[in-house]
Parts: sequence; structure tokens; C-alpha cells
Amino acid sequence: MNSDTLNTLNSYSINKYKYGFVTEIDDEKPKKGLNEDTIKFISLKKNEPEWMLDWRLKAYSKWKKMKEPKWANLSFPEIDYQDIYYYSAPKGFEKKPKDLSEVDPKLIETYNKLGIPLEEQKVLAGVAVDVVFDSVSVATTYKGELEKLGIIFCSIGEAIQKHPDLIKKYLGSVIPPGDHSFSALNSAVFTDGSFVYIPEGVKCPMELSTYFRINAENTGQFERTLIIADKGSYVSYLEGCTAPKRDDNQLHAANVELIALEGAEIKYSTVQNWYPGDEDGRGGIYNFVTKRGLCAGKNSKISWTQVETGSAITWKYPSCILKGDNSIGEFYSVAITNNFQQADTGTKMTHIGKNTKSKIISKGISLGKSQNTYRGEVSFLRKADKARNYTQCDSLLVGNQCGAHTVPYIDSKNNTAVIEHEASTSKINEDQLYYCRQRGLSHEEAVSLIVNGFCKQVLQELPMEFAVEAQKLVSISLEGSVG
Amino acid sequence: MNIQDNYQKNKKNIFFSENKDIQTYREKLINIFENDRFDKKNNESLKNINLKNFFDFKYKYLISEETSVINNNQENSYSIVSVNGQCLSYKDDKIEITKILDEDYIDFSKNDIIENNDHFVNLNSLFLNSGFKILIKKNNNIKIKISNIITDDDLTIFQKNNYICEEGSSLNLIEEYENKNNSTSNILNVIKLEKNSQLNHFLIQDNSSNHNLIITTHSSVKKDSTYTQKVYNFSEGYVRNFHYSELKEANSEADLQGIFFLKDNNTSNNKTYVKHLAEDCKSNQVYKGILNDRSKATYFSNTHVDQVAQKTEGYQLSKGILLSDNASYFSKPELKIYADDVKCSHGSTIGPIDENAIFYLRSRGMSKIAATKILISSFINEELSSIDNEQMSEIIQKKLVRYLSKVK
Repeated sequence: MNSDTLNTLNSYSINKYKYGFVTEIDDEKPKKGLNEDTIKFISLKKNEPEWMLDWRLKAYSKWKKMKEPKWANLSFPEIDYQDIYYYSAPKGFEKKPKDLSEVDPKLIETYNKLGIPLEEQKVLAGVAVDVVFDSVSVATTYKGELEKLGIIFCSIGEAIQKHPDLIKKYLGSVIPPGDHSFSALNSAVFTDGSFVYIPEGVKCPMELSTYFRINAENTGQFERTLIIADKGSYVSYLEGCTAPKRDDNQLHAANVELIALEGAEIKYSTVQNWYPGDEDGRGGIYNFVTKRGLCAGKNSKISWTQVETGSAITWKYPSCILKGDNSIGEFYSVAITNNFQQADTGTKMTHIGKNTKSKIISKGISLGKSQNTYRGEVSFLRKADKARNYTQCDSLLVGNQCGAHTVPYIDSKNNTAVIEHEASTSKINEDQLYYCRQRGLSHEEAVSLIVNGFCKQVLQELPMEFAVEAQKLVSISLEGSVG
Repeated sequence: MNIQDNYQKNKKNIFFSENKDIQTYREKLINIFENDRFDKKNNESLKNINLKNFFDFKYKYLISEETSVINNNQENSYSIVSVNGQCLSYKDDKIEITKILDEDYIDFSKNDIIENNDHFVNLNSLFLNSGFKILIKKNNNIKIKISNIITDDDLTIFQKNNYICEEGSSLNLIEEYENKNNSTSNILNVIKLEKNSQLNHFLIQDNSSNHNLIITTHSSVKKDSTYTQKVYNFSEGYVRNFHYSELKEANSEADLQGIFFLKDNNTSNNKTYVKHLAEDCKSNQVYKGILNDRSKATYFSNTHVDQVAQKTEGYQLSKGILLSDNASYFSKPELKIYADDVKCSHGSTIGPIDENAIFYLRSRGMSKIAATKILISSFINEELSSIDNEQMSEIIQKKLVRYLSKVK
């Protein structure tokens, strides 16, 4: 790399995280630490029925016996689970506001700063938004119209009250609480999240979306999302995240479960932009997320798209269990790490049914002193006749102090299944850079253009509303080192 | 019998059990065994194997009355018969063959490339009972063929061989493993290539189903040197090929290739690992496997590029063909890259024989079996045609025909 590039790299090494503000708002928290009382407190606050509390306590007793998974290529200090607030809510949220006029104006202002004007978005984009602030779901827009179609889109807390049958049947059916320590932790203390049910044959006319924000200090956010697409239905769901700048590390351990029944399709898109820590690696969110989808019925499809730019640590493997015959799983990912960020992300495709297909496209970009790992598992079980997988994972290295790693696990137990995997690692092509500069682009613009082109295959999978935001986000993330 | 008792009981006929340094090192190893839970899930060196066979064994070693033979039949060409892992001493102005010495052993225990959780290497260090050292002197061009013979049943051979190629030398090494008796060999090859030297290493493995073979190679390659390894595994018994290579100085190269043919209940575990520690180095890791019946195979490949190793080229390729619906293949091609000016890639495919190709051949009047056989041969043709030694190429062709005759 020539000295010009290095200079540009250095001059931009201050990352600008524009979502780093704190909203001054009174909040309500239980005592720090995790014990049965905390769980009872949460359950009481949420006004939950007895069976839910039992479910949480069972998960807690499992968690006590478990250790954190250590196989990931990440290094971080031991998490002190007793030094975290497990619940934090803006005051006055015992009763959910009925509509936006009852919501604290300060909160509305926060979301306006984040670029989701609830009021405006209602009219302009036609996106229904469920906003989660720390632990409580603040407002769900567009609810009435969705109700007409029979679609249930509400916070999971509300779903536990109103739709206990669905919750009892599906909660924990894809990610059992005892799966690993983070899923057990989440099951014990999850505070809010979204619940979506699309009835048979309904194509959801608009993009559903959730916006997560961690505001309070020393809080962990443990949201739980459950999406059920009944036979022949379709839904596209978006998720975005931000958090204020703080010097401490904060824990985020979410669980997302998707269930697609016969002929249903779920498209789940994430733009994760939690606070990544400053340029010396102080602060930032520890993001330990379990996302798993089950293609339960024939001809069902689940598609994950993620743009990961934030978090000090990302530990995230959105997976698909392809159980129904002819089902399809897709995974598109862009992961950008800068400064001292560490990302260990990828996917898991388990082919169980016949003629199941999966496709994995992963793009990793490492800058600064960061470490970026792709870790993915593709397995074909005995009965997965004629199953197919195609995997492509490319890494781009910018600067000579970062690392890019690829760790795929490929397991085939069926002789009619076909698997293809390819990966490459390289730096930004000097010829391309030269070509762009020759045509009058500045160095930063050229790098940004090339990186955007590198990611295009994934970015084009995002819904319109997100695609623009994601492209901007990619440029902002690069600003930290190239522009 | 557990490992500790086994060691104490047989101390007498294990190499260097008198040396204090080695003793302390071995105690450490015993401790590792005592404390390890043999976690099959997270330790890739243990995948797919029957732990009892290898860690709960009966130690037996004999020095055979049959002696090993060293022939210098043509100029620069030697053939060696090693019996139960032992070899006679020999010396001329080109090469030197000696028994393995204390120093060679200690040298190894300081080695960092071989991971601590490789239990088979630890077993080898603990029970070492045979081995030799071959030194190729400066600027010589040598051919060596080694046939490994095991005389008795139930032997457990723990062998360590050292190969040193001095500056400017070149060695063509062919190793044959064709054993028919019920025994286990655990062999560790340590190879050192000095500046501007070359080693072409061929391993032909064709053991019967009751023989277990565990081979680990550790090669360290210095400036302008090239290490090429080709493994042909036709064994009916268990074979484990773990090969590590360290590119220590600029402009060095490592090429690790392998083909394995499995059938019945057989298992084979394979691993290649290349560590790039200097700039302008190249590496290539290619393994191809054909699996029939209920056979199982694993292949782990790994390219590690250190921060200083700019201008690295590292390629990996893994291909598997499953001929039966009970066969299974696991592959994990890993890249660990800490430098930015690199070209690294890996590709991995697993699948059946291409149906369109079969259809094409059948439509031209070929039977399905004949078509399958032709396609298998063409799958590995690239590797076979690259063998420049005619005699060896013939041997391998014969073994391939034998394997194909069982394919239905």
C-alpha cells in the first residue's frame, strides 16, 4: 500500500459515531445483578402469568450450570453478570401508551435524532415500527391497519398476555433455553422485543420494523423476537440498533426465532450499529446474539441479511434449519470492523429435508486493528437427498494491522447432496484504485466506491428503506480509516 | 491399560528414559493425558476415531532379528529397508544415516508448531521406541526409497525420523507403507530444509485393514527452498495424515497434496497446516478423496499468515466424491490472515459424481460402472499425471485399478 493510502488511513482514524448521545430521562431499574428476585421483578413488572415466570426460572437454573462458549476467535475480559442492570424502563411505562401523543416527547425526540420520525415515517414510508427503548417497547405504529389483515405485530410482553397459545407453542421451539449459556440467559431475563404472527395466506403489505436502543448505563439489553409465518404467508422484517457512547462495555444478548410453515417466506434484515467503542478500544457493546430460523414446512424460505458495522464484539450466527422438503435458506452478510472491534460472525445451515437449498454470501472488511472472522457450518444429514449449498465468503483487508479469518465447517453425509464453497482474501486492488483516482475521485471516495462495490451483492438484498441507510453506514464506518 | 501405567511398565525399552530433561517433559505429557477429557467434539485430532483403540492399548515392541538393509545400487540412489522402525547406520560423502539421538528429541519438545492438543504426537513423544536420522550433505542430489516393514503382530511402533537437507541439496524421497499384520505405527517425521534446498516427498500407504497408521510431518523450510509432499492413501486400515509446514524465510514454498481412496468401514483423518512466517512465500494445499460404502473422512486445512508475511500466496482446495449414501466427509478449510498484501483462497466441494457426465458417457454406449470408473480416474488424473517417476506412476496406477475393481 502506498504512503498516500496510509496517510489517508491515519488522518481518518477518529471514528465518528453519530448516535452516541444520551437521552436524559428518568428510568426505573431493579437492583444490579442476576438472581431469582431479579427475574421475579421483571416478570412482575411485565405483569406476566405464572407459567411464564416458571419458564424463566427453569432457564435460569440451566444458565447457572452453563459456561460461556469459548470457541470463537474473540478475546474480552470475563463478563460480570452481577454488575449489570437487567431491566430499565423510562418512568411511567407500567401502562403502555395507547398512541403516540401519550409518549414522552423526549423519547420521540430521541427517535427523531436517530432518523426514525414515527409520525413522518407513518405517512412517508409506510413502515410499521416497533421501537424498543432499553427494555420496554415504546410504541408500535400502524397497528390498526395490520390488525385488519389479521397480522399480529406487537411487543412480546403484550403477546404473552394476549396470545398465550402461540407463545406457549413456539417460544423456545427453535432456540431451546438450554442451547448455550447466552440463550439460557436471554430466556431467563428477556425484557422485550417483537412478536409477529402472519396468518395463513396473508402477504404482509408493508415492511415491519423494530428499532432497538440501549440508553441507560450498565444495562444489558435482552430482547426476544418471535416471528411466525403461517402457511403460504410472507413477511419482511427489519431491525436496527444503536446505543450511546460510554466507556464501559455493555452486554446485549438477544434471541430471535423465526418459524416458517408450509410455503411461507420470511425475510429478516438487520442493520446493526451498536456503539463500537472509541479508537483505543474503550467501551462499546458486547453483542452476543442468537438468531435461528426453522423452515418447518415444505417449500418454505428464510432469508437473513445483515449489515454489521457496530459493537465492540460481535458474536452472531443467524442460522437456518431446513427441515421441510424443498425449503430454502439464505444468508447475506456484510461485516465491517474498525479500530479494536472484533467480529466472529457467520451462519449455520442444517439440511434435513429433501431438495433443500442454501446460499451463503459473506463479505468481511477489516480496518485498523480489528479482527474479522467468518465462521460457518453447512451440514447435510442422511436424508437430505439432492440438497445443495453454495457458499462464497470474501474478505478485504485495509491496513496491515488487522486480521481476516475464515473458518468454514463442511459436513456431508449424503451422496446426492452437492456443496460448493469458495473463499478469498485480498487487499484493495491497486489497479482499481489507480483507475478511480485517474478519473478524478479523491482517495477516500475511491476506496469507498470500491468497498461499496465489494459489498453490493449483499446490499442489494436489503429492502429499499434499509439499502440507502446501509450504504451510508458503510461509508461512515470506513470514515474511521479511509473515507 | 492406562497411559501412565503403560509408560511406567515399559520404561526400559523406551528411548531416552534415562535423560532427566526428557523425563520431566514426559511427566508433563502424562499430566496432559490424565487431565484431558478427550473431548471429541472440540478436538479435531480426535474426530471419527475409536479412542479405546489408540489410548487404551497394549504396549509391545521387539527389535527384530531381521536386519535392515541399505543399498547404494546406483549413483546417488539409495534404497533402505527399515525394520520395526529401526535402520542401520551408514555414512558416505553424500549422506549420513544414524540412529535418533537425544538432541534431536529435545529439539522437538521445544517445537511450537505442533499444537499441544494433538494427542497422537504426545503419545509418540512418550513411547518413542525407534527412528533414524538422515542427513543430506551440501549440494548433493539424492534419491532415497524407504520400505517400512513390521515383523510381528500386535506391535506398537512409535517412531521418529529426522531429515535434514543441507544447503543446495535436493532429495527425492519415496516412503512405502505396506503392512499386512495387526499392528499400529505412530510416526513423526521432522524435516529441515536449509537454504536453497529441495525435497520431494512421496508417501504411498497401502496397509491391510488391521493395521493402523498415524503419520505426522513437521517441515520447516528456509530461504529459497521448496518442500513438496504427495500422499497416496490406498490403505484398508485407519490412516491419519497430519502434516504441518512452516515457511520460515523469504521465497520458500510448501506444497502439500494428498489423495485418499476409502471403502468399507474405513476411516481417514487428514490435516494440512501451513504457517507463513516470512514474505514472498507460496503454499498450496490440495486434498482429494473418494469415499465408498460406509467410510468416513475428515480434512482440515489451514493457512496461517503472519503479520510480516506480505506478498503471500496461499491456496487451498478440498474435493470429495461420495459414492455411497452411507459415506460421510467433513472438511474445514481455514484461513487465518494477519497481513494485508496477500492472495489467499480456498475452495471446497463435496458431492456425487456428475450425473450429466455419466449420462454423456452412457449415451455413447458405456455401462454405468465403466462410466463411473472413468470419471473417478479423471477426477484424480491431474495428481497422477504430475508424477514424474515412471516406476512410481505404474505402482499407483495398479493400486487405483485394484480400488476401482471394487466399485459397483
